[in-house]
Amino acid sequence: MIVERKSHSTFDNKKDSHKEKGLETMKTSMWSFKLSTASLVLIPAAVGINYIGKMIAGFLKLPLWLDAIGTVLAAMIGGPVVGALSGAINNIIYGLTLDPISFAYAFTSLFLGLAVGAMAYKGWIENAGKALIVGLVAVLVASVVSTPINIIFWGGQTGNVWGDSLYAALIAHHFPVWLSSFLDEWVVDVPDKIITVFIGYLIFRGLPKTFLQQFDRQNHTDVL
Amino acid sequence: MSLYVDRPSVIHRLDPLTKLCYIAAAVTVPFICPVKSVALLVAAVTYILLAAGRVVTKVLPLLGFVAPVLLSIFIIQGMFMPDNHALVFRIGPLYFYKEGLSYAALLSLRVIGILGAFSLLVLTTKPSDLIQALMEKGLPPEIGYVLNAVLQIIPQMANALQRITDAQRARGLETDGRLLDRIKAFFPLIGPVVMNAFVETKDRAMALEVRAFNSKTKRTFLHVRKKHPADVALRIMCLAAIILAVVWRLVG
Repeated sequence: MIVERKSHSTFDNKKDSHKEKGLETMKTSMWSFKLSTASLVLIPAAVGINYIGKMIAGFLKLPLWLDAIGTVLAAMIGGPVVGALSGAINNIIYGLTLDPISFAYAFTSLFLGLAVGAMAYKGWIENAGKALIVGLVAVLVASVVSTPINIIFWGGQTGNVWGDSLYAALIAHHFPVWLSSFLDEWVVDVPDKIITVFIGYLIFRGLPKTFLQQFDRQNHTDVL
Repeated sequence: MSLYVDRPSVIHRLDPLTKLCYIAAAVTVPFICPVKSVALLVAAVTYILLAAGRVVTKVLPLLGFVAPVLLSIFIIQGMFMPDNHALVFRIGPLYFYKEGLSYAALLSLRVIGILGAFSLLVLTTKPSDLIQALMEKGLPPEIGYVLNAVLQIIPQMANALQRITDAQRARGLETDGRLLDRIKAFFPLIGPVVMNAFVETKDRAMALEVRAFNSKTKRTFLHVRKKHPADVALRIMCLAAIILAVVWRLVG
């Protein structure tokens, strides 16, 4: 229906094997850009949930940001493309309305949504143990993508007191900047992203089946 | 919700895409030429433009937001940067070196310049105008819808959160006290907001589809944007600045 249909090369063969069959059994690749209206309207809700999560964390004075719960949830429900779009759009809107610095971290959110969505699609949110692994991957992805941005903009710092103290200690002992910066980001991300993914997982488990059915890629009956 | 400030100024009347071109130049040039004088020049031009847009005072809170980070960059790089050799001054047991402070100054000038360039767009452009300008240039209308919808949905959800917080507190929810209590309070607050938001998405999807949201015909726009003659000239200047920076880097 919308953006031209593109598919990641690795998954092409999977898509092709279903090509000849009818609409009911056609399985769309998880990398398809062909989003249903239901998936598209999920994105504003996801950005809103990110915002609400951050507000509640501030209101309850929790020592975490928890500002990516919506991105994680959208990725679990709609797959990697919806997750990535939610992440990128989240930061673009934040940049336009609250804090221009947030534009720079659009890539972090994009890859966070992409990674969580891909793992969820592959069945990594079946139980709490697996969801924890998704959390660890989210930490790794967020730190790896944020580190170059931190180095370019801030010389490697994150602006978080604990992370930056570690950074200062490391470069004082002549550790390379990229490693110090990565660890600076990593210690900040470990609690925040693991808890974010876990909260996302708990909410996802609580969602009614009738709601999730709209996003089941094998069920095209409610696409008008 | 937006940072937009309505003022009568030339900057406000420029095409949003011209301001995007300016951001592209103001971000890339200081990185192509990594010296303090260039970063200072770009920042100076940016703040003159902000003054022309009569929004320079509105940048101050945004700068205040990054000020603590910039200060910590001066402290950390000034004291611990690996290349540090020339001592500038000491405060008790703390030694500050020239190389680190100079690097921190470069980083700060860049950040201040880039923040200013983004502010120039954000403070003088209505988000909906920017989205329309991008859609005219080929952004899929679906994504345009999503961006506009976010701007509407966030105030709605913030209101819903306020209602739910009041309701849950009336039922005896602890929202302050021990950390564990506060963590437990997170779920009764976020749960209903998420459910509400998701229930609404189903209605939204249906409402959109019955209004031909998926139609493939070319979209038209309700408001026709006026083109300013200066736009083309300014875009060429931004491009020229980038090319000049690349030449400077290759020659110098």
